[in-house]
Amino acid sequence: MNCKKVFRLLSIYQDSELNPALERQVESHLRDCHACRSEWEGMQELVGNLKCLQPPAADPYFPTKVMARLPANRAAKFRLLPAITYALVFLTIFLSVFFLQLSYNNTVGAKKPQAATFTAVLLENQDLGLLAVHDNTLALFER
Amino acid sequence: MDQQTLTDDEIVSAVLAGRRQDFEILVQRYSGKIIHFITRMSQDRDEAQSIAQEVFLKIFQNLPYYRKENNFSAFIFKIAKNMTLNWLNREKRTVLFSRLLAWEFNKAPFRQEPPLVSHHEQSERDGDIMRNLRLLPEEQRLALILKVYLEFSYKQIREITGWSIPKIETLISRAKSRLKKNIQLQERSREVVYTARKK
Ligand SMILES: [Zn+2]
Repeated sequence: MNCKKVFRLLSIYQDSELNPALERQVESHLRDCHACRSEWEGMQELVGNLKCLQPPAADPYFPTKVMARLPANRAAKFRLLPAITYALVFLTIFLSVFFLQLSYNNTVGAKKPQAATFTAVLLENQDLGLLAVHDNTLALFER
Repeated sequence: MDQQTLTDDEIVSAVLAGRRQDFEILVQRYSGKIIHFITRMSQDRDEAQSIAQEVFLKIFQNLPYYRKENNFSAFIFKIAKNMTLNWLNREKRTVLFSRLLAWEFNKAPFRQEPPLVSHHEQSERDGDIMRNLRLLPEEQRLALILKVYLEFSYKQIREITGWSIPKIETLISRAKSRLKKNIQLQERSREVVYTARKK
């Protein structure tokens, strides 16, 4: 093997990525050739120096910081809960307003109030939903 | 079962099945390497910490797309590589923009490249190495860092970067020659200055 080829293979040899046959050829050349050996020693020194750069000191709180920032489990929150929760919430509002109307009609008489009935509902932990139920809508249910 | 004996793939399955807290085992397992990688690529220890956090959040979001083949390491390093290169490009633009503004308004730029030998004790030689690493073309630097600091095989580097093995061989070989030449030049010029001062 000539010097030119060895020069080309030296880095791969250093990274232990050469096949055994080529590896043996490079090694035997390095034993005999002063120029290539000096190149090889320079390369070894360089990688030795590179490895002197130590990894940064580990932050023991790093995993905790990452875990605290994981996105909320939206899938479970919106797929499993709502089916039951939202249905219950709406049912409760309609029933309560319906009965309110009934008792109002019974006590006062035929005249209906024209104001909309607003109901604030706590839908989720953080989400406050404001539901507006107008009397005209409710009238549909009364028939 | 002991957490430490679980394979990466087993932990990923557990996390995807709803055991979100198990993700912490993966963070513990890989944060050191990921932070080391980003630090060497960016040469900015403080930024590296915050980029690494973003990387793990991204890994978590992308877990459903991981195909379990015992190559979790390649999967997460691919994400780390992409996010770090994006950050570097953004940073390059910011530094450039800041210089333009500074030139326009005749003021000191608001953003400069991070100091190399800053608040952390570093020898002159370490400083030389870091400066020269930063001066390498991006692809050469990436290949060299994955090989020398993360000790990945060429095959693993191929999985992370998508480059062919011959390309990886060439990039690493060129990076080494270039570093060697530049460091030697600097040492020589320092000697010249030193001997000149002595006279
Ligand atoms: Zn030779």
